[in-house]
Amino acid sequence: MTTQHVPTANGTAMSGATSLVKSLEAANVDVMFGLPGGAILPAYDPIFDSTIRHILVRHEQGAGHAATGYAQVTGRAGVCIATSGPGATNLVTPLMDAGMDSVPLVAITGQVPSAAIGTDAFQEADIRGITMPFTKHNFLVTKAADIPRAIAEAFHIATSGRPGPVLVDIAKDALQTQTTFNWPAKIELAGYNPRITPDNQSIADAAALIAQSKKPVFYVGGGVIKAEASKELAQLVELLGAPVVTTLMARGAFPDSHPLHLGMPGMHGTVAAVTALQKADLLITLGARFDDRVTGKLSTFAVSAKVIHADIDPAEINKNKFADVPVVGDLRETITALIPALKAALEKSRPDLTPWNASMQKLKSTYPLGYTLPDDGSLSPQAVIERIGKISGSETIFTSGVGQHQMWASQFISYEHPRTWLNSGGAGTMGYGVPAAMGAKVGAPDATVWAIDGDGCFQMTNQELVTCALNNIPIKVAIINNESLGMVRQWQTLFYEGRYSNTSLESKRVPNFPMLAEAMGCVGLSCERPEDLDATIEKAMSINDQPVVVDFRVHRDAMVWPMVAAGTSNDEIMIARATAPDWDSQEL
Amino acid sequence: MSIHTIEVLVENEPGVLARVSGLFARRAYNIDTLVVGPTSNPEVSKMVIQVNLEGHSLEQVIAQLDKLISVISIEELVDGAKKPVKDTQPDYQN
Ligand SMILES: Cc1ncc(C[n+]2csc(CCOP(=O)(O)OP(=O)(O)O)c2C)c(N)n1
Ligand SMILES: [Mg+2]
Repeated sequence: MTTQHVPTANGTAMSGATSLVKSLEAANVDVMFGLPGGAILPAYDPIFDSTIRHILVRHEQGAGHAATGYAQVTGRAGVCIATSGPGATNLVTPLMDAGMDSVPLVAITGQVPSAAIGTDAFQEADIRGITMPFTKHNFLVTKAADIPRAIAEAFHIATSGRPGPVLVDIAKDALQTQTTFNWPAKIELAGYNPRITPDNQSIADAAALIAQSKKPVFYVGGGVIKAEASKELAQLVELLGAPVVTTLMARGAFPDSHPLHLGMPGMHGTVAAVTALQKADLLITLGARFDDRVTGKLSTFAVSAKVIHADIDPAEINKNKFADVPVVGDLRETITALIPALKAALEKSRPDLTPWNASMQKLKSTYPLGYTLPDDGSLSPQAVIERIGKISGSETIFTSGVGQHQMWASQFISYEHPRTWLNSGGAGTMGYGVPAAMGAKVGAPDATVWAIDGDGCFQMTNQELVTCALNNIPIKVAIINNESLGMVRQWQTLFYEGRYSNTSLESKRVPNFPMLAEAMGCVGLSCERPEDLDATIEKAMSINDQPVVVDFRVHRDAMVWPMVAAGTSNDEIMIARATAPDWDSQEL
Repeated sequence: MSIHTIEVLVENEPGVLARVSGLFARRAYNIDTLVVGPTSNPEVSKMVIQVNLEGHSLEQVIAQLDKLISVISIEELVDGAKKPVKDTQPDYQN
């Protein structure tokens, strides 16, 4: 049971629509992203008078990803709002995306009047049915009196336990009917009571297992960021002195600059991070979920490792990989409890990790991330991304689209802080970058926010730059313009004999990105020569009163390495085309 | 044996059958039979589900079911008696 503050408006007569807005205010919402239409229109009237900032987007998908960007930067629930039918279905992708990446989101949609539900009424869509598979929960509200409780429960569910998206669909007549506002003083859900505090025995078992291990590795996932457990993680790592890998969703959870950090594991992970998981005798898994992009072929993943799996979601335990020691609970509480338990266990016996650390450090130095510059002197996409990271510094917040540029942004920017790297990990949603950057900038107005976007992704959601320009949300967008759906093209190069079916975008010809940017009220820049790179980035950094879009016209054939091809074993990692690491010279 | 019978108490609310059957469908769990009925509490319904595991673990089926907010509790029925479900996933009963 959770108790909450009761607002002064309680007991007052008002419309369902006003009670919705009062409920959002009571839930401490300060901003929401949305776009009105018939079914939700009654709510937009009281929104006009509310203290909540409403940002009018150009497409509801933009509202959803913006709410996600806001949530990922602030740790609070992001809120988006749309009308029934097509407005609601435009939120489907962001809701699925937020479900995959455990983002706290509350989506509010208008529904046709309750009497018309089921009649194929104008703009009727069963959005509750549509979103059932990927929301953490959803509601259909048909009575005005039920609105405050549904909103209160939605925020509670979205932000507690394993965070996730919650949709509240409200029939138009419920918004129009008069009611008495009644914000619930407590929330009690018989079927929902997430475990926060881990049990002592599992902590003791985990500590004992760690203290026996000669080759442990911290496998860190996005849950560490959600639990705000970075500080505690750093203490735990210092205590044990074992190597760390951070997944795509966890970049920034542990500083890249730390010597024990081996980088990102998985399909495009570093040789050291991938190998550490493969050769470890113990995975200390913290808020990660053994996703196929990390494990590669599961039957060959970390075969000799015991597994400690700490997660707030019990359904993740034993889902893909058997856990010798499951620890269910909030990660900050878990790590906080583990530190003294491990200290005590290590005082009794402390295995020598030196050989293991030495071989991992050797892999790290032998196979650093790198790239070769194009022979023809043209601009290297990796160099562009690396320079943006260096010039804008480690306080900058980065978002990305999905594709090669995303992997390079994860690889070649050094992340030092949690909540500075936002991307669509589980869903791989092209078009996430620009609207997520918009939401991130709204959530952290003083931070520099760069969207590292692809020329393909950018063309899916760039309309939100209009929203940014009109609402004083000066984000910066780097289009890594390789004139193709580069990641797909890379697979065609490697697995389809270079038959480039439908991956050429010709985006060095059309559209003219700087002109498109200018048309949307942004500053448009472009850069084609390596010698102009730093000056162009610095120019973009100097503009802070308008969104900036830079068209970086890069070499088309660059590829993302290392790579573990889909469905193959992590042992088959390639550092370049047809080039495996020289395993014979490594002692593992 | 790969056929198990579970008794699931759920909130008696519109759409709850879709939530449960949809979960089984999307995670490729097989339902052999499903019966829904009332309980003495009008706000709570009871589902008795025969699940044919076919390679899935009962523990995982139960853990996923328990993630549904509308699911209140889950018990396995063995020869008509309630059996506490094996607790390898600690606290899956919330
Ligand atoms: C909505 C959506 N459609 C299709 C895909 C498949 N896909 C993955 S990466 C990619 C290419 C993206 O192209 P671009 O934005 O130019 O990025 P690049 O790989 O060139 O850096 C595609 C089509 C996807 N992830 N999302
Ligand atoms: Mg591209």
